[in-house]
Amino acid sequence: MFPDARRDVLFPVIGSAVLFSVLVGGGMLYQTIIGNGAAERLMTTMLIDAIIVIGIQIYIGNTGILSFGHIGFGAVAGYAFAVYAVSPEEKLKRIPNAPFGLTDTQVGPTLAMLIAVVVTLVFAFIVGIGLARSGAQSGAVAPTVITLAVLFVTHEVAKSWPQLTGGNRGGVSFAIGASLDKRWPILLALFAALLGARLYGQSRSGRLATAAREDNLAARAMGVNPLVQQMTALLISVVVVSIGSSLRVWQIGSILPDRFFFDYAMLTLVMLIVGGRNSVTGAVLGVAVMTAALELARRLGQEGFEIFGIGLDQAPLDWVFRENLNSIVLGIAMVGFMIWRPSGILEDWEFDRWLYRKLDRDEVEPELLVELDEVPDLRFSASDISVSFGGFHALSGAGITAASGEVVGIIGPNGAGKTTFVNVITGMVEPTHGEFSIGDRSLNGMRSFELSRSGLVRTFQNLRMFGALTVRENVETAALVAREHRADRQLPDVDPLIREAGLWEHRDRRARELDYGNSRRLELARAAAMAPSFMLLDEPTSGMSDSESLTMIEQVRHMAATVAAGVIVIDHDLGFITGISDRIYVFDQGRVIAEGTPEEVQADPRVQAAYLGSMAGD
Amino acid sequence: MLEVAGLTTKYGAISALRDAHLTVGEGEVVGLIGPNGAGKTTLLGSIAGILPIESGTTTFDGADITSVAPEKILRSGLALVPEHRRIFTDMTVEENLKIGGVTRSATERGDLLEEMAELFPVLRDKWDTAAGFMSGGEAQQLAIARALMSKPKLIMMDEPSLGLAPVLVDLVFELIDTLRSQGRTILVVEQNATRMLSVADRAYVLRSGDIVATGTGAELLERDDLFDTFVGG
Amino acid sequence: MSELVQNLIDGLGRGSIYALLALGVAVVFGIMHLLNFAHGELITIPAYVTYWAFNNGWNWWTVVPLIVIVAVLSSLLIERIAFSRVRGAKDFTLLLTSFGVHFIVAAGFLLYVSASVKQIPRPTWAANTVAISAVRIELFDIVVIGVTIVVLAGTTWLLQRTMFGLALRAAAADFDTARLMGIKSDSVIRGAFALSGFLAGIAAVFWIMREGQVTPTAGIDPMLKGVLAALIGGLGSLRGAVLGGFVLGLAEVLLRSWLPIEIQNLTTGFVFVMIALLFIFRPGGLVSVPQVERV
Repeated sequence: MFPDARRDVLFPVIGSAVLFSVLVGGGMLYQTIIGNGAAERLMTTMLIDAIIVIGIQIYIGNTGILSFGHIGFGAVAGYAFAVYAVSPEEKLKRIPNAPFGLTDTQVGPTLAMLIAVVVTLVFAFIVGIGLARSGAQSGAVAPTVITLAVLFVTHEVAKSWPQLTGGNRGGVSFAIGASLDKRWPILLALFAALLGARLYGQSRSGRLATAAREDNLAARAMGVNPLVQQMTALLISVVVVSIGSSLRVWQIGSILPDRFFFDYAMLTLVMLIVGGRNSVTGAVLGVAVMTAALELARRLGQEGFEIFGIGLDQAPLDWVFRENLNSIVLGIAMVGFMIWRPSGILEDWEFDRWLYRKLDRDEVEPELLVELDEVPDLRFSASDISVSFGGFHALSGAGITAASGEVVGIIGPNGAGKTTFVNVITGMVEPTHGEFSIGDRSLNGMRSFELSRSGLVRTFQNLRMFGALTVRENVETAALVAREHRADRQLPDVDPLIREAGLWEHRDRRARELDYGNSRRLELARAAAMAPSFMLLDEPTSGMSDSESLTMIEQVRHMAATVAAGVIVIDHDLGFITGISDRIYVFDQGRVIAEGTPEEVQADPRVQAAYLGSMAGD
Repeated sequence: MLEVAGLTTKYGAISALRDAHLTVGEGEVVGLIGPNGAGKTTLLGSIAGILPIESGTTTFDGADITSVAPEKILRSGLALVPEHRRIFTDMTVEENLKIGGVTRSATERGDLLEEMAELFPVLRDKWDTAAGFMSGGEAQQLAIARALMSKPKLIMMDEPSLGLAPVLVDLVFELIDTLRSQGRTILVVEQNATRMLSVADRAYVLRSGDIVATGTGAELLERDDLFDTFVGG
Repeated sequence: MSELVQNLIDGLGRGSIYALLALGVAVVFGIMHLLNFAHGELITIPAYVTYWAFNNGWNWWTVVPLIVIVAVLSSLLIERIAFSRVRGAKDFTLLLTSFGVHFIVAAGFLLYVSASVKQIPRPTWAANTVAISAVRIELFDIVVIGVTIVVLAGTTWLLQRTMFGLALRAAAADFDTARLMGIKSDSVIRGAFALSGFLAGIAAVFWIMREGQVTPTAGIDPMLKGVLAALIGGLGSLRGAVLGGFVLGLAEVLLRSWLPIEIQNLTTGFVFVMIALLFIFRPGGLVSVPQVERV
């Protein structure tokens, strides 16, 4: 069922409540067992760390972009909070000359937190624009460097602007009345963070961001604009981190530049990585595990601590287990997990999704889709397309037309220019000359996500799945985009489409686990979910045996008919192409050398020569 | 000299290879033809060790080279001229050749460099030019020469005539002929089936991951249904 | 005018060290796509060894080769223990691994040596200045620039004229094809780390001489400078890295002399912002290495 409010709203709420209870409950238990002030402080710290790590997870998990900068945003929020929340008397001691008259200002902690969030959001928005311009995508270096810059710059400013921040010595320290003796602000913020993270993860923006994380190119080909989703994820994550940082400052009672720098960035990052960066449940687990591990390390480094009756302050063990053991534990945890389990303990497993599937009643097999009778009267037309790379003419005046409901094939030997042609009409290469359009709408100059929103949807030769997402989620990604940008067309339902592709029993399996044939069919289904005017299939039978290719013929025809789309197919498998096409264009050496029905083309001696090659001089 | 038995390779989304059997005898020129996407590059890549083999074996000169590291396979005497040539564009012709001979001693390398200059006069002219500035035909010659620098017992070529103008295609096939007359053993993947079959001693036709036909070059050329074997169905 | 010349020499002096560090970073990145955030430890470790050496009666003549040797060995050791196990992993993983290594080393010194600053005696000639007309130049800067030029020349010779250098360049250009030529991946990677360690060692000599002290986190600053300079030049370009190093050194000095006093402390921050801006408008760095999006 799509959209699925149970999966995307109800269960995340339930799941967040459970996670919240487990974490807080576990913390209370520990506190009660140990029964001293140190344990209580440790638990408070853990809960606040959890809020911040969840905030970081919202960004890193959904976009796949490694950010070191969130603690830098935390610094901004922390200082903003402190400066607004601390009483003027206290401020007079530390920052008597604060700019903007801030020494005399004081607001309640809630308002201070709100101000902190707003200030940090503005800063984050500017940074987000920079990230977008630098070509941010999962795994790229540039955005990581930019976020590192955020971390360092905020640290530098904090150190070097004593009028505002108290500089590096005393910092801004304070007691805000009833301070943080009560835990309820923290608990409230933690629950809100959990809920927000899960709801965002299942929201349209979160799902599109995740698709872009899995495969940026394929997401764009499905009409997703990754930059918009990444900015959304950034802003939401910054809100959470700002609140958590304000609470952190409130709890500690003071703020220093080093508290929001490298060490804390490393700590929060390790917590996230250990638990599993693509999962909110993982973030929570990571916080709990690392808190425990570090506490253990701290105890091991102290005098008089015993494990199984072996005193660890006896030689030679006392040389190993010393004070400050935690920093080494962090480093070892990081390197260890990178070597043995880079995705973390839970990878991207989410509690509420697991629960949902467990409690899932047997879904009824959906109806088969009906082939649409009404075929819109649209023509795809590409004319006089030329592309030159340096002196090399990849394409010279190539062009094709296709009508809705038609299947047009493109064949030609390697190096004939087919790939270049496809790249031109899918917005990846700019032609030196030529136009292409659907109906009377020109497609020149459009970027790939704009093209697919305009009705030209492609599949990829190199099979680009959203690997970690399930079959269903893959198709839903396209459906989410179609609902917004293809609303004037008749949109196929997701479940019937999955059944149509023969993937119903695999609907909840991850795309990367599918075998090859099923993966190709998933690609088809995903493209069809966009309700395209024209589907462009790039070597859909690549890697298939002859018999598999033949079954593809019917599958492609049928799938296209259910959405009344025209089909443009490029393939080397001549059996497949001649079987499926109404008309075929033959490319060779950058030109269209023949066009006609499959019979005409097969009998054409020029085509035979192009394929088999010819002796010199022919 | 080279024996491939029951080779099955799955390579991401690009052509799989199913149960391929192939032999190349010493001094032979063997062709591997078929439509694109048939698995020809996959086959060469599997033999050369750059693609992971799922099942089957490859034996070279009596030794098992299945799933052995590519640098080891090269050192045992099996060289590959990869598809799209993959020359080091920022390095000069001389440097490219030297790298090809990295496994040889310095004196041997010196001799080989002279040999290559003889065999490929156009390379001698461009000795100190960056390889990225060479035309397609020149680059192909460089790629072949580079592979020869390792003194291979068997040289494999992946689509050497790809993207070349007809007169350069002639050059490539003349080269193959010359190398054969030098007694070298060659396995060539080619798109230009007609030319290939006229030079090859034997050939295999690959389609959609399966070897569908084999025979001497002449036998295959004479078949009326050659185009059909390409098309299938 | 004389101030400008002094600043220029000062900038080149700093830039020399940064260039060496950046080159070390770029060499490893070119081969493995690993941005080594642990590169600074190749200064920290030798620095602590230097401290130990001076406490045991060594002098600068014997310490200099020691520093370089320790740097090379540390580089190889870190590759063996950590980076060899994540070969071929995603950039994300490689980056975080190098961070982890940095942390372990820094924490290790914190834990097992001391958190306090350890002093290292500066060489006596380092404080001397040379006067040329109205300009006073530090002898130290001249020596640094001179040594760097020699080392860079030597490295260029190594990369251009020896088979080892050729193999490194081939592997950096196209690792898979290099293997097809018979180049062993283990050998070339270790070679890259050894070269990187050597360059870091030379940089370490001058860094230690200039700073005169060592702390567990001493590695962060040189690492940052090296990484930033390599980024300015465009990761993957060795020439760019060297250029980036000099640009960074000059930028630092010039910014410091131009910025008003109050925000002079923000120099590193400024540099960072400039680099972030560079990334935004020219993601490939100053010397672009073209990236092709493969469909």
